[in-house]
Amino acid sequence: MLTMAEAVREAMSIAFDERPEVFLLGEDVGIYGGAFGVSGDMYHRYGAERVLDTPIAELGIVGAAVGAALSGMRPIVEIQFSDFTAQAMDQIANQAAKIHFMLGGALHVPMVLRTPQGSGTGAAAQHSQNLEPWFASVPGLKVVVPSNPADAKGLLLAAIDDPNPVIFLEHKLLYKIPGRDPVPEGATRIPLGVSKVVREGKDLTIVATGIMVNKSYEVAEKLAAEGISITLIDPRTISPLDMQPVFESVEKTGRLLVVQEGPAQAGFINEVIAQMAGSSSFGSLIAPIKRLAGMNIPIPYAPQLEKAAVPQIEDIESAAREIVKNWR
Amino acid sequence: MSFKYPVVMPKMSMTMETGELINFHVKVGDQVKSGDVLFEVMTDKIDMEVEAPADGVIESLVVAPGAVVEIGKPVLIMLTETEVMAFDFGDDDQPVAGVEVATPAPRVEANAVAAAPIIVNTNVKAVPKARVEAANRGIDLRTVNPTGPDRTITMQDVNGAQLDPAIVKRQAANKALIAKGIEMTRAIAQASFNRQVTAHFDHASFIAAWAKVLRGRPDLAAHEHIGVALIIESKYGSALPVFRDPDQASLDDLRALVASTTDAAKNGKVPVAMLSGATTTVFDLTTYSMSSATPLLFPNQITSVTIGYDSQSSKNISLTIDLNFCDFYDGALLLDALVASL
Repeated sequence: MLTMAEAVREAMSIAFDERPEVFLLGEDVGIYGGAFGVSGDMYHRYGAERVLDTPIAELGIVGAAVGAALSGMRPIVEIQFSDFTAQAMDQIANQAAKIHFMLGGALHVPMVLRTPQGSGTGAAAQHSQNLEPWFASVPGLKVVVPSNPADAKGLLLAAIDDPNPVIFLEHKLLYKIPGRDPVPEGATRIPLGVSKVVREGKDLTIVATGIMVNKSYEVAEKLAAEGISITLIDPRTISPLDMQPVFESVEKTGRLLVVQEGPAQAGFINEVIAQMAGSSSFGSLIAPIKRLAGMNIPIPYAPQLEKAAVPQIEDIESAAREIVKNWR
Repeated sequence: MSFKYPVVMPKMSMTMETGELINFHVKVGDQVKSGDVLFEVMTDKIDMEVEAPADGVIESLVVAPGAVVEIGKPVLIMLTETEVMAFDFGDDDQPVAGVEVATPAPRVEANAVAAAPIIVNTNVKAVPKARVEAANRGIDLRTVNPTGPDRTITMQDVNGAQLDPAIVKRQAANKALIAKGIEMTRAIAQASFNRQVTAHFDHASFIAAWAKVLRGRPDLAAHEHIGVALIIESKYGSALPVFRDPDQASLDDLRALVASTTDAAKNGKVPVAMLSGATTTVFDLTTYSMSSATPLLFPNQITSVTIGYDSQSSKNISLTIDLNFCDFYDGALLLDALVASL
């Protein structure tokens, strides 16, 4: 069973083998094998021409990738921590996302920006954020948040194929974890913009992103023994967002719990709530929609506080149990 | 609770005005079932047995065998468990006097008779699906006790809700009427009612009166205006000019408009602007010497009325309602209010 770091490496390797124009650049992706070991031995297998170690200069890294993409290459950028994308935001939001549209579709920017995010590593406030709403609020960017190795592989291959920029956000704690399902052999793509129904149940619909999918899955399995049956939906791509399975599920369960690690305020998951509230499935709700998200604070350094700042399995479990128990 | 219900001399032919009571098949205190024969009557044409309209007990015999009784006047009084629909909508405990049954007091304020619901909750909070379900089942959410968090009505509350007693009563009455042979299907569900009136009216005053009655029931309106279509026959075929909000014009203006439109229709020249927007239809059958007919419902309309010839001095008013939008009670009230306002 591959871990998510291995699955991402395998997808990049397949793309390297398929297309000579694919290359990887970033800080320490070469000889060191990546800050989290994702690129691993790729430097040795593909050489310094295709696995480029860059200086510590995020704006320059992304700018170089945008330029390469415009001239026919397919760069994969790795930003060591997603927090550092702030340095490169002009190239991401104002250049990469806009060029295709501002030039009437004449040019494409086939670039993938991979970056680890999330808390739980004791790395404090500047290395632990979940910044997916930054990217999801910029039209022109596609945003992928994989929750397991199999999806990460298929989605990354599709992201590399995509003719315009894709932001690929990998949770650090998932890197070392094998998935529940084995990673398929070969180069099968998972299309962007298709939600996945992870498991089906009749009492409650949970929509969760990234690492929260795993936590919610554990809760669903546990509560199944108590007779609470849960549908779990992983949007996988948060922009574009596929809400149809969510509507269909809520029409059956009548209850919706949404879970994300990032702060509640202006978080991505609020988009799911907004679309539900405005849909014709609204009339199927038999309970108020419940949101679990991170606290509106910078991630604390103290391990207990870091844990308390974002939803944990026990939080999801009690929220799920309460919503089903209180709203019948 | 029991209801007093007068069983009256029925009208069994067009020309019948009185009937003679031959004999009773029941005596005071007898328990009868719906359909049991109560008494026999003789008219100039036929003899007929009159049956109980519902289960109940014979409370009193109003006349003696051999008596000649006018149609519509009571022959005996029954006590029933379910309210049997008649055109008297007096309070339950108000004694039913024979004469008043035959010529009931007019009731123009149709809504006034609806029983007040038992309101337990004026500031309703309910989950979305509970609102949908309550609307479908005719439950007033103010009458539902909220047991959810923050006194919110849950699905369980709605599913366990007792219907408003007034609605239960209406449903029982409707059931009794349906049991008497009115057929209903899901797609077409209509009921028709007839009343005799002696008042004098012309088309304009009739249309205005009907529009005013409908305006008193905004709950039955699908449109913001009231458009009364009047069927006018001519050698060119039928025309249905629509008079918009006729109750809000002066009667003189309306009379002039009806007259000029009728003339125009007879020449096949109804203004195009008057050919749409109907919310109800009126058909005057008296010119055909027809006494009554079941008014036809037109698409997107939930009421239709005909005026039929009864005698020099009286007319038959018939009303059809669409039971998908209102019930027997509404129909009876509407016709009652129309007749009262003529």
